[in-house]
Amino acid sequence: MNMSEATREVYWNVPYHNLIYVFLAPTLVIMLWGFYRRFRLWKAGKPALRTDRLGERVDLFIRNALGQARTMRNTYAAVFHTGLYLGFIVLVIATTVVAIHADTPLKIMQGPFYLFFQSLIVDFFGLFVMFAVLMAWYRRGRLKPAKLVYTDEANILLGLIFVIAFTGFLIEGWRIVVTEDPWGLWSPVGYVFGIASAKVMSTEAMTMAHRGSWWLHMAVSFGFIAYAPFTKMAHVVFSPLNIFTANLDGYGASLKDIDFEKAERFGINSLPDFTWKDLLDLDACTECGRCTAVCPANTVGKELSPRDIILDLQKLMHDSSDELLEIAAKRQKGELEPPKDGEPPPIPIIRDDHAVNKEALFQCTTCAACMEACPVFIEQLPKIVDARRFLVMEEADFPEGMMNVVTSMEQRQHPFPGTQFTRTDWADGLELDILADMADPKEAEVLFWVGCGGALVERNRSTVRATAKLLKKAGVKFAILGREESCTGDPARRIGNEFLFEMLAKGNVETLNGYGVKQIVTSCPHCFNTFANEYPQFGGHYEVSHHSQYLRDLVEGGRLQPVHEDHRHVTYHDPCYLGRHNGEYEAPRKVVAASSRTDIVEMPKSGRDSFCCGGGGGMMYVDEPPDKRVNQERAQQAIDTGADVVAVACPFCATMLEDGVGARKGDRNVSVIDVAEMLLASVGDEEAPVAGESSAG
Amino acid sequence: MNILVCIKQILDPDLPARDFKIDAANKEADPKGANKVTNIFCENALETALQLREKAGGGKVTAITYGPEGAEDSLRKALAMTVDEAVLVINDKHSKPDAIAVGKVLAAAARKLGDFDLVMVGRESGDWGLGQTGGVLAEELGLPSLAFVDEVDPDGDGLKLQRQTDNGSEVATVKPPALVLITNNENNVPRIPKTRDVMMSYRKPLQKLTLEELGVADEAVGDGHTAFEVTNLYVPEKSVSCEFVQGDSLDEKVTELARRIHGIVASVN
Repeated sequence: MNMSEATREVYWNVPYHNLIYVFLAPTLVIMLWGFYRRFRLWKAGKPALRTDRLGERVDLFIRNALGQARTMRNTYAAVFHTGLYLGFIVLVIATTVVAIHADTPLKIMQGPFYLFFQSLIVDFFGLFVMFAVLMAWYRRGRLKPAKLVYTDEANILLGLIFVIAFTGFLIEGWRIVVTEDPWGLWSPVGYVFGIASAKVMSTEAMTMAHRGSWWLHMAVSFGFIAYAPFTKMAHVVFSPLNIFTANLDGYGASLKDIDFEKAERFGINSLPDFTWKDLLDLDACTECGRCTAVCPANTVGKELSPRDIILDLQKLMHDSSDELLEIAAKRQKGELEPPKDGEPPPIPIIRDDHAVNKEALFQCTTCAACMEACPVFIEQLPKIVDARRFLVMEEADFPEGMMNVVTSMEQRQHPFPGTQFTRTDWADGLELDILADMADPKEAEVLFWVGCGGALVERNRSTVRATAKLLKKAGVKFAILGREESCTGDPARRIGNEFLFEMLAKGNVETLNGYGVKQIVTSCPHCFNTFANEYPQFGGHYEVSHHSQYLRDLVEGGRLQPVHEDHRHVTYHDPCYLGRHNGEYEAPRKVVAASSRTDIVEMPKSGRDSFCCGGGGGMMYVDEPPDKRVNQERAQQAIDTGADVVAVACPFCATMLEDGVGARKGDRNVSVIDVAEMLLASVGDEEAPVAGESSAG
Repeated sequence: MNILVCIKQILDPDLPARDFKIDAANKEADPKGANKVTNIFCENALETALQLREKAGGGKVTAITYGPEGAEDSLRKALAMTVDEAVLVINDKHSKPDAIAVGKVLAAAARKLGDFDLVMVGRESGDWGLGQTGGVLAEELGLPSLAFVDEVDPDGDGLKLQRQTDNGSEVATVKPPALVLITNNENNVPRIPKTRDVMMSYRKPLQKLTLEELGVADEAVGDGHTAFEVTNLYVPEKSVSCEFVQGDSLDEKVTELARRIHGIVASVN
């Protein structure tokens, strides 16, 4: 046998096979219509710029759409999804090859290509697909993870895929046996099917069954193609599209701006007020549930479920598609009436009877774990904040604890009503320079932005004091703002009071630019995020570092020399706004490493998968039910590592975790210590306890 | 229903203790470094008035204050809470008007602004805490008044007033015009303004009046003409003394401690 002549007879035993093209036409029409009717819904959204920076988008697309990088993070799903994903691609190519070979003059399906690809590889992937379907079924039927959505549709889709692969092997096997195909062994799976059925079936029976199965294979395949856009299978098109148009700027820069002069409504409680990208997000969802599985609020038993927020909004979009299109058409013609006072907005999204309800919206800590977990880059957090904005700014309907904080920020420019500390009490005896009192403020190379959580909260005064002392020891020329410092506005923005955030931001930028501030070191990751990602749009451009980054540089540059090494076991808790939101996981670990004799004992949820302390998004100011406290859940995770010290790098985390550790540590001696405090103790200071010899426990 | 709510801007009572300083020369709290806020009972009065306007199905609420230019902030906040009009009687001359002076000024303003069915004031201010302005104002305007009111409801052509007492509540009715001094309860927690209302509050007109325009003579309300004079103002010094009760046994110590506590209680009574 000459391998270069290897091929097979196409359409063997299938009279009238050209009819498939007759059936293909309507199939494709239905499929395209299905995709189009989704596409036109997104077009109803408001504009958003998501087609810029093409190079970065292509890169993201290659890694995460083609490369499935995030899907791979879950091993079980990675295996079966790869089977389905690659199987789908390979089988589509194979089918196309058959069509080209059979119905065009290009006879490509022959020789080694036929044997290695069209027979062997295709057989392997066909088997992989069936195996993948069984894995998926096993997960749905037996493992039953809570994160999944259990629909008939999902089972039907899996069933169709299985039938397509299975009938493929049947017709291949029968053809090989009946035609005595000399190359049959190159299709081992089909070959085995064929041999096996030859044991129990006559040649006539196999020929008949082949013909029936061939048409069944075609019918199911075409049915699947036509059905897909109307199901979550549409994600094969929408998810890659969503990845290509993802937010490229990181979670710390994912909230939208509001033009208060022009906006008809503040925040969003109306589906047509979303951008087209928000609406595309809804359709891109694959129902994998990873967002809800990692959501800290959901983990402790609260109602918030990012997955259901997306899916309920998706259902709302489909159920109200006519109204949505009507509004979009009016808006395009400029005929859309501005909203009237007191009138409910069209297609309201905040509803008591679904996931986007008032209670759930104000359970979000804005930690962005949902967005980090999403394999297809859906942006849950900005939607939650959009809805919060509506409730806060249009309705003034939000939790009392958050109201007190907003009022305090308006009146006192800080979110800690009732604090008995001033902005400079913590610095007593340190004789720090205050910009306003300096003859030449430009002499200060660095502004140490203390933050409200550092200056005004008992627990954290030692952290900012430690940072200031370390800066002094290292000979850094720095100053503080003292009384002129005010909240950056982060809690206001996350709670949903964008107006207040803007006022605070503008005021701070004016103060900072007035002194010609160039470089800022913050103690709080929330302040850090605001300076780094949110102030540039108000004209505030600064080189900003978190104290962990600045201290790391001082240690690495030899300007600080840790001498005492803490011998206790340390675990490190990544603050969301330093880690996930801004990608800094290493600097604080380096500071811990410099101060500690032991290696960090990592929690299972750390780095980009870190679990929020429960304090972000204004949640620090809200009373949580005693049995549903995010901080205690995280504290338990830290305690479970067996560590003696929980190192932190954020004032919110410090207070939340100290509280949580206090409630959960039992007889254990576990301390919550900021990395700056650790480093100060290590460098040596009369105020800081020598490492490990005493602890607040 | 035409309602006048008199409000006062004060130093933030939430000021950290270390920031609270006495200006000994002027015998007043040093305003430097402190935020100014609307007195909480005045905000309760505003909230009660706004709720009354809603319950009555309409009406007009006017907020008024007698204070420096900076007191405009409190009126803007009242506008954000959706009062209909705001009036600032500018005090740029007199540093420490007492309750009688303030009552006279507000009475003159109330007469000039029109006929009010109800005048509301907070029960007392968070700074001096004298609780006299309401009484003086009622006297000046010749209105019946009731203190410690925490709820006002329309009642036919009159008003039903709920008043807190040591043992519970009293309900009174009154035919307008009248004056009430408002105290707080769980129903008149000041509302958080909607952002659009906050934005609008800066665009709404705000009437400013001078004492001359009101025809109030300086001599009647000015410095040196007050009925009430502060002679000394100071932060009380805290002193702590600590003593360990002596005794040979625990029983002895406890007995001695009990005897001492008994002595202290007896001396207080």
